[in-house]
Parts: sequence; structure tokens; C-alpha cells
Amino acid sequence: MKLSLNWLKCFVAHGLSAEKLAHRLTMAGHEVKNIDTVEDDLVFEIEITPNRPDCLNTLGLAREVSAIVNKPLKSLKDKALKLPKAMCDVTIEDKAACLRYVGAVVKHIQIGAAPEFIKQKLQALGSRPVNNIVDITNYGLFENGQPLHAFDYDKLIGGKIVVRRAKAGEKIVTLDGVERELNPAILVIADAQRPVAIAGIMGGAATEVTDKTQRILLESAYFDPVLIRRAGRALGLTSDSAYRFERGVDLANVDRAAKVALGRIVELTGGAIVNYRDVCFKKTVVQKSFTINATQMSHFLGTKVSAMQIKKILKKLEFKVSGASDQMSVSAPSFRNDIKGAIDLSEEIARVIGYDRLPSSLPQIKPSAIAPSPQFQMKRKLRRLLTGQGFDEVISYPLISQGAIKKTKMENFSTSKIKNPLSLDQEYMRPSLLTSLLAVVGLNFNRGQKNLRLFELGKIYPADGEKEVLGVILSGQRLSSWQSNKKEAVDFYDLKGSVSRVFEALGFDLPGVISATEDIYSKEQNAQLCFGQQVIGSLGKINKDILRNWELKTDDVYFAQINLQVLYNIQPQVKRFAALSGFPSITRDVSIAVKQSVPFAQVEALAQAVGAKYLTNVHFLEQYLGEKIAAGQKGLVFSLVYQSSERTLTEAEIAPLHEAILQRLQQDLGAAIR
Amino acid sequence: MIWDFDKLIQEADKEIAGCSDLAALEALRIKFLGRKGLVADVYASLSTASVQEKPLIGKGANDFRARVIQWLEKKKGLLEHASSAESAQVFDVTLPGIAPALGREHILSRIIEEICTTFEHLGFVVQDGPEIETEFNNFTALNIPADHPSRDSFDTFYLETPDPDNKNRNLLLRSQTSPVQIRLMQQFKPPFAVVIPGKVYRPDAVDASHSFVFHQIEGLLVDEDIKFSDLKGLLTAFCRRLFGEKTRMRFRPHYFPFTEPSAEVDVSCYICDGQGCSVCGRKGWLEIMGCGMVNPKVFEAVKYPKGKYTGLAFGMGVERMAMLKYGINDIRLFLENDVRFLKQ
Repeated sequence: MKLSLNWLKCFVAHGLSAEKLAHRLTMAGHEVKNIDTVEDDLVFEIEITPNRPDCLNTLGLAREVSAIVNKPLKSLKDKALKLPKAMCDVTIEDKAACLRYVGAVVKHIQIGAAPEFIKQKLQALGSRPVNNIVDITNYGLFENGQPLHAFDYDKLIGGKIVVRRAKAGEKIVTLDGVERELNPAILVIADAQRPVAIAGIMGGAATEVTDKTQRILLESAYFDPVLIRRAGRALGLTSDSAYRFERGVDLANVDRAAKVALGRIVELTGGAIVNYRDVCFKKTVVQKSFTINATQMSHFLGTKVSAMQIKKILKKLEFKVSGASDQMSVSAPSFRNDIKGAIDLSEEIARVIGYDRLPSSLPQIKPSAIAPSPQFQMKRKLRRLLTGQGFDEVISYPLISQGAIKKTKMENFSTSKIKNPLSLDQEYMRPSLLTSLLAVVGLNFNRGQKNLRLFELGKIYPADGEKEVLGVILSGQRLSSWQSNKKEAVDFYDLKGSVSRVFEALGFDLPGVISATEDIYSKEQNAQLCFGQQVIGSLGKINKDILRNWELKTDDVYFAQINLQVLYNIQPQVKRFAALSGFPSITRDVSIAVKQSVPFAQVEALAQAVGAKYLTNVHFLEQYLGEKIAAGQKGLVFSLVYQSSERTLTEAEIAPLHEAILQRLQQDLGAAIR
Repeated sequence: MIWDFDKLIQEADKEIAGCSDLAALEALRIKFLGRKGLVADVYASLSTASVQEKPLIGKGANDFRARVIQWLEKKKGLLEHASSAESAQVFDVTLPGIAPALGREHILSRIIEEICTTFEHLGFVVQDGPEIETEFNNFTALNIPADHPSRDSFDTFYLETPDPDNKNRNLLLRSQTSPVQIRLMQQFKPPFAVVIPGKVYRPDAVDASHSFVFHQIEGLLVDEDIKFSDLKGLLTAFCRRLFGEKTRMRFRPHYFPFTEPSAEVDVSCYICDGQGCSVCGRKGWLEIMGCGMVNPKVFEAVKYPKGKYTGLAFGMGVERMAMLKYGINDIRLFLENDVRFLKQ
């Protein structure tokens, strides 16, 4: 909203410099964004908050200034106007959409240029002067906030005004020369046959005031704000009028604004009013009155404000105040629809005093009845643990396309769909972090970054509700140093190791690993992580077809996703201290050949079951395949560590136990000792 | 034969002093002290020497041998020292050290962490809440009227999933973190002080300064006697911790449906110290958050007893804070995740 300081002076003699005035307005809630010089005038660019349509005009801001500087406000000159008895033909079909409509027909109009005092002010506000009639309507809008429109009365078919909804398929060419198709959601002003204006937004070209115009119909109305806003958005059309109507104009000002404009038309264009009609379903939005108390308000604001001061400020803002100081009854003026409770009055007092002039204090913050979110604490730990292992954190877009779901073979995954997406690229909520992370991998590959160690703490959105998950993705080469500059590709075990390390550091037992095929992984290299029966996530090598679909030029991308929601509900076991044995341990290395289908976990479990008495650790050393091993077999090397907490074990004690383990490995698992 | 011991000693001294490496020194040791060396020759001559000569030769030989041994030792020490000094110069301590690689937390996580920690030090606790919300929590309970523009599909993403509490309406992606306030207040009685970080969604076309998903941090303090002056004091304390003790603050009245009175908070531009520069758009002030006193209508919506509590609330955009703090000019960089950006 632009404010001409020359025009402002016509309403209030504030006596402040432009900078000082800008500061005080800003501190009262009308932020002055910019100060421009236009000829001999200064123009403020002010941001008016959406709750204050009454300040979208010079008079409204003058009222604010008068309250801030405590100077009198000159009211709008409403010259005694002789209005004819003859009425004009106005029909309102949709009463809810148009609570008031003032129409007046004026004849003998001499179209010409408007006088300088009008043109200068319009130019200062960036509005191009057109002719005296159009300029007078625009002048009224910028002066008192009521949008006005003038039709060429002789072009209104039947001399009629009908306020109604547009019919489906109806068309109108608006003043900007564009033909627009209308629909019943749009309110129009029509004559006997056709729409002549889109109500509150823009007039029609067919009834435009031109040099040849002799009679006009002046319109001043109140249109439903929501209807105007939706119509404007649907048509992609806005205007100074629409901007005000959609925020709400002052119902009580509709006729006054019309009369002020008619006075000017008569005076400046030689016109004579022949018809006048004020169709009014509601004169004002009745304001409830509120009771306030100076002591309570002082306490709430944290500063002493007297009843006198409160009364003075509110009266300047045209509120009605009555009653004793501990029980003041206040009612708001018709143009202050934003005042809905006593609390709103405290803001009026605070901002007119100026927020900068109110004191500061530090609240006593008591221990909260709400505990810190354990989720947030766990995410903090996860971030430290993963960055400590060389993973970079990413935050990716949770909205994805149907194409991304297909490319990732997730058509069967449950997800949530957006009803009003911005574009088809963001139509779905991701069912897994994999889609988002593969997009990140793709972007980095294309920019030459191929060694990626990434994680994300984000959400997935299956239909049964959003879930917090950890996603980890690995690709490219293993970390190396300049001392051992071997270029080795990462593999499944790098990912498993990093994930295991996280569980270990969080104090969880390592989750069990079971092979289970999911479509997103390769058939061989994939596993589910579980605590007992509860699956908490999965990890594996991403299926080649998916990598092809994402046009990634690699076969080796490893991905893990862990459901944090499940982890939050499992408390890591509190570990009891175990006494350290002071006696030496005995280590025996074992090398076996066994069928490839026998997992090491089975070997380990069997050794532990048999050796329970003294076996304290099974330490994996190596797996080997190849020439020295029969086809279908694999070699496993591991050490068995024996120790007692009570005494030094002797060879004689260990030998039978060790032998028993080896025997059972042979018997139960068909292992050959090597 | 009579030995000229002075000359022998002189020559040996000269030869040993002139020696430049350990191998040559070893050759000299053999020449003088070896089994067939000069000292051995001197002692061997004793057997043929006269009785008068014997003590002279014996003493001379002993002296000579002692001197040679002493010089050889000394020279050996010098050469060894020199050679170890040489090898120390070869070792380059400036080569990079070796350590496991360090990953980086995302810059938005770092900002969120910094802001949350600051509030934790002031006595707040961190909480979070869901991104998929009901219209009631995201709008109605926050005193946003039924016909408010922000509820339009132009300004809020709606899901195809119906709201289980209101079958006529659909669930939505929260357009602000404030609905978590509602959830917490429905569940807990004051006093409490919480900060809530999280993602929010608005259907804005993506460009350098807009994104359809971004992050906010929301704060809420409710008790029986929270005052408007507390709002100024608390946020001033926060901003000074985050931006430095010299930061100046400006509270401008503003409008939010869920707070009354409401304000926007500006801090003096940390680049130009309020003089006006390109970062602050020549204004000297940076707008960093919105705040206000909780509107009693919000307490009404969560069924708190009328008039019992007052509270303050505030909210800020994380991307905006990061852009201001690190001079990042394009919001798209945050969610694009180029590792070169992440590593910075």
C-alpha cells in the first residue's frame, strides 16, 4: 500500500519528519518498506497486514497516525448533496454475496481531464490518470478505501443492474481487453442481457466510460470477501478493488463514499444526479462490546498503562469507550472487523504506544510438564555416530512422482497420495527413503561424485501413517588413505558393519540377520534385521534393474533402512558390569570346510552351545573360496577363546572341550576340519 | 727402529678428522687398530727393540693407541649424529595425517541443533510431531477461520486420505509446525516450555527463494503468568546468544491468527551492523521470526480453563536462518544434496 505524505497532511498535521513517521508507523504495525520521492511528494511503501483492510487507504492510515502522535484527525468532507427521489433499477439476486449496493445515475457528464490535485495524487501512488470520471473513482478508493466503478449508462442494456452469479459458459471482455469465460462460482454485475463487470474485480470493456460518455452509473458496493478472492484466483485476475474487497471494506462507508464521489462528479464534470438507490441488507457488522480493566492490561503487557491512556488511544482509533477505569466497556468501529475479543484491545494499546517503548523481562521458566522427545535425542546420537563413520547427512524431498515409484519397483508399497500436487513430480509421499536417496545418488554421479556414503533421518509415509526411519546408502570405493591407496569397491559387509556399529554404540544388542528377498535388493545379497520376531529394517545390494531404471552407471549401490519408530519402543538393555578375569585365556584357531549353504552364524551358535563351559568368544577370521576348496564348499577360519574367571585353564581341561566342538561341527554341519 | 710418535699421532689425527663417512672411518679403524694395523706393527717392533728403546716404544705405542681409539670414537659419534640429522630431514611431518573420514551433519540439522540447544539452555525441551495433520490441528484450533485463504488448495497440500475424525475433510500436510502445539496442549497441562523443529509443506513453485517443503522451529511457553514483556526479553536473550551479544532487536507489531498481540522480530544485520548492505536489502535489519502471546481462542480450542493461562509462542524458518548465517543464496541447494555442498 502506497501512502502520499502530501495527501496524509490533508488529514492530520503530524509534525514528524518522514524518517521519524516511518519508524513510528512501523512500530505500530504498519511496516514502511521503502520511501520514494515523487516530484514534490514523499511516498511510503507500507506493508499492511491482512487483518487491517481499513488501513488500505489514506484516511485509514491518517487515523492511525493521529492516534500515534495524538493529533486531531480531519474527517472526510461529505458535502450536503441533494439526492433525487428517482431510483435506479438495481436487482440483487444473491443477497449473501452483496450485502449493500449503492447505484447512482448522473447525466450531462463532460468527460475531460481531472484537475491537478487529483492527478498529482494518483500519479504519486503510481495510478495512471485516465479521465475525470475514472480518476474520481480511483481517488475515492485511495482516499477512503471504498472501491467505486462507473459504467457508461447508455451502454447498459435496459438501463438495468443485476447482481448475480455468472451462468456457465458466459463470457466477458474485461477492461484489460481479455476475454474471460465465467462460471457460477463468480459473481457478476449484469445488465438486462449480459455480464458487464466481474463483481469487485474488474469492469467490462463494453460499458467502459469513454470520451463520448454522457451518462454514467456509479457503483459503490460491499461484496463477499471470500467469493471475490476465490473468483480472482480462479481467473488469475486481481486489481486495487479486488485487493480491498477480498480483505473486507467498511459496510458503513459504502454510501458515504458514493456521496463523496458524487459530490466531486457534480462539481468537476458538470453532471447532475438523476437516480439514486441504496440497497442495503446490513448497515454494519454489529460489534460486540468488550470489557477491559487497566490493571489487568498493565499486568499482561508488563508495564503500567493508565485507564486515561487506554481511553485516549482507543478513542483516537474511533472505538467507543465508556464506564469506570476498572470496568471499561469498549466497542469497535464498523471498519474494525479484526477486533474479536478483549485481547485484541491489548494489541491496540501496545502498538499505539509502540512495541519499542514497552519493557522486556525474562520469564521464570519452570520445569516442563512435558518430557524431551526421546526421538529427537536418538536422532542426535545417530547423527554423531554416522558422521563419525564418514557418512554425510542428506535431507531430501519427501514428495516423489509415480515414475520414481515404478523405477524403484515399489508399486506394491503402501503410500499416500497428494490431492492437489503442484506437479506430477510431487504427487506421492515416498514409501521408502530409497527413492529419494537414489535421486541424490544420481545427481552426485552426474556431477562426478561417485564415492558416496550418505544417510538420512527422515520419514516415510505408508497409508497407515508416517514413520521415522534411518536410511543409509553406500556406493563407490571404500575409504582409503594415502598410505594404503588400494582402490577397493565397497560391499555388503561395509554397510552391515556400519549399521552394526550404530546398534552397538546405542547400547542395543546386535539385531539378528535373516536372509529374506525383497524386490528392491539383489536375490543373494539382502537381509532383514530383527529383534526376536520383530523386523526393524533391511539391508542389501540394490537390484540391478532398479539401478538401470535410475540410469546409474554402477552395479554396486548398497542401502539399509531402519525403522526408528520400532527402536524408540525398545529400551536398550542396561548392561551389568561383568568382573574382568585375571586369568589368561587360551586361543585355538580352527579352519573348516563346509557347504556354502551353512551360514557362519550356525557354526558360531553350535560352537557356543557345545563350548559353553569355558568358551568365551568365537572370533571370525576369514572366509575363502576357490581352488583349494571343493565345489559348493567354503573355507571358514575362526578362533575359539577359552577362559575361566576362577583359575588358569590347563591344556588338559581345554582339549576335550575343543575336541567336542570339532566333532559336533563335523557331525551336525558336515564340516571337514582342515 | 725408533718410531716418530709425534708424527704418527699428527697424521692419524689428520686422517681421522678428514674422514667423511662411517665406511671410511671403519677402514681407518682397521688401518690403525686392525690385526695387521699400524698399532700392531708398533707393538711387534718391541721384540726386536733394544732394552733402552723398549720402555719408550711401549709408552709411545700405548699413548698412540689410546689417542686413536679416542678420536675414532669421537668421530664415529659425530658422523652418526650427522647421518641421523640427515634422516630426520627426510621425514616430512607436513604430509596429511591419517584418520577415519569424517562425515558432515546437514547444514539444516546443524542450524536446528544450534537453535534447539540454545533454547534447551534457557529451560525448554525439544518435542516433535507428525507432518500429516488434520484441518482442526493445522487451522481451526489455531483460530484460522474456515474461509481463510491459507486453507485453500492453493496454499495447503491435501492428501486423498479422509480425516478419520471428520469424514468430509481430508488430511493435509501441515503448513506450519504450530499444530504440534495443539497436540501437546491437548495432552499436557502447563507449565511447559517446548521447541518443535520439523518439516512443513506449502504448494509454492520451487525457485531460489521458495520450496514446497521447508523447515520451521516453533516455540511455546505456557504458564499462569506469562507477560508480553517476557516475549521481548526471552527472544532478545535467544537472539543475542545466536547472533552475538551486541545484536540489537526490533519487535514490529504483526498479525497472526493464533497470537495476540503478535510481532515480527528483526535483528540488526550482522554483516553491516545495521548500516545497510546487500544482505539486509539496505535496511540494516533482518527479519528472522514471528511471535506473539497465545490467543485465548487457542486455549479455548484445547479446552484449557478460561483465563487461567497465558503463553507466548514463536516460529522461525530454518532455511532462512541458514541462508542468513552462511550467506547461501539459493534455497534449492539445501535439498539437492550435492556432496560438495554437504561437505562445506
